Parts: sequence; C-alpha cells; structure tokens
Amino acid sequence: MKKITILLITIISTSYPQDGMAIAKMVDERKAPQDIVSKTTMLLTNSKGKTRTSTILSKSINNSSKQILWFLNPADDKGVAFLKIEHVDKADEMRMWLPAFKKVRRISSSKKGDSFMGSDLSYEDMTSRALDENNYKRLENDMIDGKECFVLEVVPNAEIKSTYSKHITWVEKETLIAIKEESYDLGGSLRKKKKFFFDSISGYDVINEIFVEDIQKNHTTKLTMDDIKVDSDIDESLFQEKNLKRLPRN
Amino acid sequence: MINTKFKNWAIHQSIHHPKRTLTSALIITLIMGFGLQHFVIEDDMMKMIPKSVKTRVVWEEVKDEFGNTDLIFVAFGTEGKNLFQNKAMSDLWNFTKALEALPEVEEIRSLTNLDRMENEDGFLLIDDLVSTKNLSLEEIADIKDYLIRNPELKKQVISQNDDFFNIVVIPNGNTSEQASVVKIVATAEKLLSGYDLHFGGPPYLVGIVSNLVRADALFLVRIGLVMMVIILLASLRSVAGVFMVLSVIILSLIGMMGSMGWIRGLTGSDRFVFSIMNTSMPIILMTIANSDSVHFLTKFFKKLRITGDKEKAIEQSIDSLMLPIFLTSLTTAAAFLSLIFAPLEYMTGYGVSIAIGISWAWILSTTLLPSLIMLKDWPLNSRSIRKPGLLERIVDKFGSKIIKFPRSILIGGLLLVAVGIYGIRLVTTEVNMFSFFEKGNKIRDSLEFLDEKMLGAMDLEFLIKGDMKDPELLQQISQLQDYVEKNPSVSITISIADIIKRMHRTVMDDDPDYETVPDDRAKVNNLYTMYSMSGDPDDLTALVDYEYSKALVTAILKNVSTKSSVLFVNDIEHFVDQNFTQYKDITATGQLVVLRDMVELVIKSSVISICVSIVVITFIAAIFFKQLGWGIFAVIPLSAAVILNFGFMGILKIDLNHVTALLSSVIIGVGVDFAIHYISQYRRLARAKVPVATRSNRVIDEVGYPIILDALSNMAFGALLLSEFVPLQHMGGLMVFAMFSTSFGTLTILSSLLELTGRRKKVMKKLLGEQ
Repeated sequence: MKKITILLITIISTSYPQDGMAIAKMVDERKAPQDIVSKTTMLLTNSKGKTRTSTILSKSINNSSKQILWFLNPADDKGVAFLKIEHVDKADEMRMWLPAFKKVRRISSSKKGDSFMGSDLSYEDMTSRALDENNYKRLENDMIDGKECFVLEVVPNAEIKSTYSKHITWVEKETLIAIKEESYDLGGSLRKKKKFFFDSISGYDVINEIFVEDIQKNHTTKLTMDDIKVDSDIDESLFQEKNLKRLPRN
Repeated sequence: MINTKFKNWAIHQSIHHPKRTLTSALIITLIMGFGLQHFVIEDDMMKMIPKSVKTRVVWEEVKDEFGNTDLIFVAFGTEGKNLFQNKAMSDLWNFTKALEALPEVEEIRSLTNLDRMENEDGFLLIDDLVSTKNLSLEEIADIKDYLIRNPELKKQVISQNDDFFNIVVIPNGNTSEQASVVKIVATAEKLLSGYDLHFGGPPYLVGIVSNLVRADALFLVRIGLVMMVIILLASLRSVAGVFMVLSVIILSLIGMMGSMGWIRGLTGSDRFVFSIMNTSMPIILMTIANSDSVHFLTKFFKKLRITGDKEKAIEQSIDSLMLPIFLTSLTTAAAFLSLIFAPLEYMTGYGVSIAIGISWAWILSTTLLPSLIMLKDWPLNSRSIRKPGLLERIVDKFGSKIIKFPRSILIGGLLLVAVGIYGIRLVTTEVNMFSFFEKGNKIRDSLEFLDEKMLGAMDLEFLIKGDMKDPELLQQISQLQDYVEKNPSVSITISIADIIKRMHRTVMDDDPDYETVPDDRAKVNNLYTMYSMSGDPDDLTALVDYEYSKALVTAILKNVSTKSSVLFVNDIEHFVDQNFTQYKDITATGQLVVLRDMVELVIKSSVISICVSIVVITFIAAIFFKQLGWGIFAVIPLSAAVILNFGFMGILKIDLNHVTALLSSVIIGVGVDFAIHYISQYRRLARAKVPVATRSNRVIDEVGYPIILDALSNMAFGALLLSEFVPLQHMGGLMVFAMFSTSFGTLTILSSLLELTGRRKKVMKKLLGEQ
C-alpha cells in the first residue's frame, strides 16, 4: 500500500507539478496517529557550551492539539506538570502544576515568540500551522542527505501576527514529511534552523528527534523521543487539570 | 668611542650630504606615519586596570556570563509636562524600536518593552505592558496604574514627576563605544527633536570622551604650535630658525603617533590606545623636540657669531651638544619608559610611544636640523647672529648674582621644598570622570540631570557564586540589596531575588505578604520552571547564569566622589564578610569599584614612576659622567621640582588622577635636560681648569640662556590650560610651574650646590676622576 502511495506521489509530482499549497495540503493530510506517548529528553546548549537536560513524559492527541507533560528529571523539577489545549476560536489554555505550592496555575503566553520551556522552540513553533493562515510558494526541489525534497516558502498572513517573516521548508518527497526548516525573523534575517528526524512506528512516520538552532542567540535544543507508543487509546479525559497532580506510572 | 664615531658621521652627513639627510628623514618619518592607520582612540577606565586585578577579572567574568552590563542612559521629556499621553508614548515606542534596530545595540529597556506580570483570577499573566504604538486613553491609564502598583519598576522607566522617560541601552559589546554613542545620539536627536535630551552611563562617557579626546588633542597641538612659534620668534629672531625647529617637532610628532599606531596594529594591545591621558602626549613631545632644537640652534648662532663660518659653527655645535643632547634624550626617554612599571595599563603605551618620539627627535635634532641649517645661507650681519637678545643678556646678569649668594639661594630653595613636603600631605585623589568636566559643560549637565531626576548613571555590580535555588542565599542577596539601598546615592538594585519575590507574590494570588523569597528550595525551583514556561528565559540571563550557580546583583546609583566610593565599597565588603557566612564567593565590580581601585593604582603609578625614573636617571648620568655624585646632582633639582609640584597640588586642592599622575614623569623627563646641560658644561669647564671663581659664571653664560629659552618655549604646555578636560588644564598649569621650578631649580639649587662643591677642591677632583 505504502509503495503504491509513493509511486502515485512520484508520478503526480513529476507529471503534474503541484503548486506550494497543493504540497502543503498533502503534508497536512498525511496519515498521523491518534495519540502519541513518549519519554522526551530535552538537551539545551547555550553559546558557552553549558547544558541543561530534562526528561519529560508526554502524552498527546489530535496532532498534539491536546498535550500533557510531566517532568521526570532533573530531580528539582520532578512532579511539575503542564497541560496545553489548543483552541481554534480562542486563546490556547495552558495550566501548570506546581507541586511545592500544591497549586495549579493557569499561565499565558500571548507572545507567540516566547520560548517553550526555555527551549529554542517558541509556542508558535509548537502550534500546528493552519493552511489558510499561510501562503505557500514552491521553490526548486533540493536534495537533503540523499533524499529528494520539495522546497516550500511559507509566508504567514499579516493578520496572524507571526513572529516570523517566512519559513523555507524541505519536505521529503517520499514520505511527505518536513525534514528541515529555516525560519526568518521579521527583519528578514535567518533566526532558526530546524531538523526533524523520523522513525516508522506502527505504520506511521513519527518524529523521534528534533534539533533546533537559534542562529541569533547561538543556542541549540535537541529533543529526543524514546519509548514512543502510538494509538494507545488515550482517553480525552486525561487532558484535565486534576490529572496534572498525579505522575502516571507509565 | 661610539659617541665620537656617531658624532663624526653626523657632522659629515650634515655638512656634506644635507639633501640626502633631509630626504632620508622624510622617508623614515613617512614610514612611521603609516602606522596612523592603526591608531585607536578610546577611553575606558576599566581597561586601564591590570588584567590581574580582581575587579577586572570579575568584570570580564560578568561580561562573559551575563553579557554586556555597561549601560547607557537616555532621558527625554519636557520639564513639568506629563508624558502619560498618546504622542509621548508613541514617540517612546518609535525611539525604542529604532534603537532596537541598530546593530550597535544589544538590548533596550524602556517602558514600551517592559513585561507585565500579574495574577488575574488565578491566571498568571506575563505579557507586554505596552502592546501597541497607538494607545487609547484607557490603555495609557492602565499602564500608569500598573506602574504605580509597582513603584520599583516605575522608577526604572520614568521620572518621579512623570515628565522624563528613562531608556536604558545596552550596547553591543562587539562594537566600539564611540560608534554606539554616535548612532544612539543621532537616533535620539532625529526622533525626539521636540524634547530635552540627556545622556549618561560609562559607555556613553567612554564614547563621548573618545570623540572629545580627538578634537581636544588636535586643538591643543594647534594652540601649542602657535604659542611655540610666538615664543621662538621672539627669542630666536629668525623665521628660518623657527621653521627648522618646527620641522623637527612635526616630524617627531608624526613618528611618535605613527609608532603608537604600528605597535597597536601589530600587537593589538589595549595599552597602545590613545586615551584622555594621552591627550598631553603631543604637547609634551613638542616641548621635548623643541628643547633639543633650541639648544642646537642657539649654540649654532653663538658659534657662528664667534667663528663667522657656517660649517665650523655646525661642526662645533654638534661636537659640544652631541653628548648632552643624547644624554638628555636618553634620560628623558628613560623617565617616560619608567611608566612601563606603573600598574595603570594605558601608561605603558604612553611611556613607550613618547620614548620612541623622543629618540626620533634626538636623531632629527642631530642630523636633520644641522642639514637644514647647512642648506640655508646665514648672513652674519643678521640681528639674531650679530648680538645676543634681551633674554640672553638678562640671564647673563642673573648668573653673577647666584655666584655671590650660593648659600642663601640654596637655603631659600630648601625652604620652598619644605613647603612642598607639607603640601603633599594634602593631596587628594579623584578619578571620577564626572570631575573631569567643568560646571556648565554639556556632559556634566546631563550627568547632573540624570542624578537629580532619574536613577543616576553609575553602576555597582556583585558577582555571587552559589546555589541560586537555595532560599538562604537568595535571602542573603535580598539583604545585601537592602543594605546597599540604605546608601542615599543608590537609586535601585536589581537581582534574581527580586524576580523570585515578584513571582512568589503572583503565585500566591498577588498577596503582598508573599513578596518574599520562599523558604523552600522546591518552591524556588517551581518558580524558575514556571518562568521558563510563561516568560522569556532571556529575561533572566542578565541576572542568573545557565546553571543557576552564579548571579549578578546590579545597583544603579547617583554620582559619588572617589573618596565616598572607597568608603562605600569597603563598607559593603565588610557587610558581606560579616553576613554571608555560608556562601562567601561574592565580589564587587563595576564603575564604583573601579574608582576605588583606581585610587590605589594612581598613587602606585605615581610613586613607582617617580622612584624608577629617579633611580634610572641617577645611574645613566652616573655612567656618562663616570661618577655617582654627578648622577645625584642631576636628580636633585628634579626631586625638588616633583616635591614642589605635588605640594602645590595639595595646597591648591588639585586632584591627583590618572591624568595628573603622569606629571612626575613629565617633570622628570623634561626637567632633567636642564640639569644635564648644566652639569655637562660645568664638567667641561672644570676639566679645562677654568678657575672656580669664574666657572659657574661661565657655565651660566653658556647654558643659562638656552635653559631659560628652553623653559620659556616649553610654555607651550600652557596650551593644556585650554583643554576641554579639567585634569589636563591642571596639568598645563602645573607643567608651566614645573618648567619654572626645574629651570630655576637648576640655575639656583644645582648651581649653588656645584658652586659650593667646586670650592672644595678635593671633592671636585674626585668627582672629575682626577684623584
């Protein structure tokens, strides 16, 4: 089945050259798991080579539009938990459990450019990109690590007030997965370089590593996902405030 | 032997190949002058401090860990006019954005980019306080209300009367302060033309002073040259002679400045940058180069008057002056080279560069000058050659008086020195740049405005090492801030403890009782994690390091005198010793501590350069005159002049600082010439068995006039009185005084001493090596 899909894409892409939006749609409609569970290790490295490492248990559904995180490491952070629920028509909900205070705090970051957990990924980077909020222009194809890629220039619409002026995204033709992206700040200077690595799990191509480099701050983030499980029937009721307080056993 | 060979070579070159000598001198000067392309003008007090001094080590560490901590303060507004209105807020927005866009700027802190941290219905909100350029009246009122509820924040961004905005600019550490200041000032003047503008802060001073130094140095050189030309014309009465002296001076200046540029370019050393201290360098070299030339030219006129033959006059002038001019140049260069031992880093560049200039001036005086003289026809009936001038005649008469009353003159001189010793005890040290500008100066007015209306423009930092998640340490940091803030000069202190306290209050439903450091480490950690989830982690990078093992506490304060800064910093260090029992690794740095450290360094630099130069000159003179006694005689008038100089500084309340600290070297370097010329001539006559009764008279007859003429033409030092900088004005006045004290010291104390010694035949024979 997979082979047929690849063959079709290859035939379509060579016989009927698609525009940027068509490719973006294909990427958007790519088959994705209902839910993902992983143990994520986040390694932050600053310009002086100093590092911070955290291990987080993550559970998400609907392409991460609902996500719950529990900090496992370092010991100081153990028990801190975070819940994010994206909304289409209103601001995203974010709640945090502070075990030392025994309090759940709702937090806000209306600043899309703010860093997510001190990493080089901003809230904007973490949020799914809606097709109608961006303009997609197809650039010349390119080869990345021996893989043939579509190259898209993604320009956010003015009304969404993005913190970026544009992104250049390399989409692997074979899998329709974005494997590399460069994001430019509002001044037009290169701000971030991102690389995505995938693994095939239960028939899905699931991200198992993300590497982000903030060129301007000379800071990097490496997210490594281990123990990945997909479609494990996570109940939507998990994504509630009360569940932040209890660190799950698995 | 070497002296004779070089002497004969110089005579031969000057008389037989004057054009070739002139061309060679010009080419070599041109090559030296090419070094000007590497010339750097900068004035950073921190860079004067040796790299091994703890304040500088910590400052470098702070910069490396927390980024640039040097702040430029910009205030704008109109006296009495409330700025909480749309136009002013919009202007602030535009100005902030324009500054942020400058590559010379790393970060801006102004009202329009402050964060609002609030707890609204259990909802932790960290957001922009000012979210847009065009604000409604309600939004402006809301911003004002937030600032009123957070007075510590408010005073960082707006004056107490709400009539001046305060903008803190952190310049990009990779760009020169000069470039940053020029761009920031230009941006402010372009966008804020309807407001009163004020600037301050260490990088601003560094940048603005660097620009002023350039203008001041050029201005002073021009004035100095004009003064020198007038004095020389009046004394030498020969336009050609003055032109020749000026040629030597200008070529020496190019050689010195070019060499400084070459050394800086080749080594990259910060010791060879041109700072406010160096502003006096051109004037000093001008006077030294002038000295050599004046001695040579007056000797030439005298010999020409006697022989009537130009070649013979040149030959005899080189013959009699080669050694003394070499010796005076060597001793002067040695006095300036003694600055290498001074702990203030810029002094090394000063000493070495001026020593190169002096050496080049010596070579030009003994080769180029005779060649220029050779190339000109000298009519023997001209007034300058035919008869001595007025000054020469006065000095001749003065000589006979000294011989009559040597004891009285010596006692009189010693009494003056005693007054000087008393005055030294009154000398105070003031190195604050604030005091370098006179009242009414635009820069000083700005700094005073920032002190009165805003937070001030001085900084004090503490680098604290320890576990920044430990509540006990955070509590101690908070206590340290409270203690520092007790000083009336301190406007505000900022630390990670403040953020933790604010977050604690916010998490605890905005209850003011919780504006404290939590007592539990886990709570502190939760707050850090919460900030990383909801705010920009970059906000904390200026306060705590990546591993939470180092923190920076910054205090902004109003201008304080050096004396107060010494007391204040020492007091805080005492407090730290007493109260920080578990975590002891706390070091103060920043501008205030630099002032404290500079005091010690300035005094050390002065003492070291005086001692080293006196010892070196004593030995050089002793070697050349082959008796230690002559070396001691050479430094006696200098020592007296140095004592008098510092004594007068104390009595006249002239501060010792890194600029006036150079005075001792300059006095010794320039003043030693007089003594060397005098001793050289005295020895020559004593060896020629000129009777004691007429010897001193003959010495004064020969060298008295050139010494006084030399001292008078050195009145070009007076040009420094017109400097923009107060210490340079002081230096100018003191140097004029020093020229009097060293020249008269030579013609009174030294001549009286030699007169008295000459009467003791045995001692004199020993000194002449005849026993």
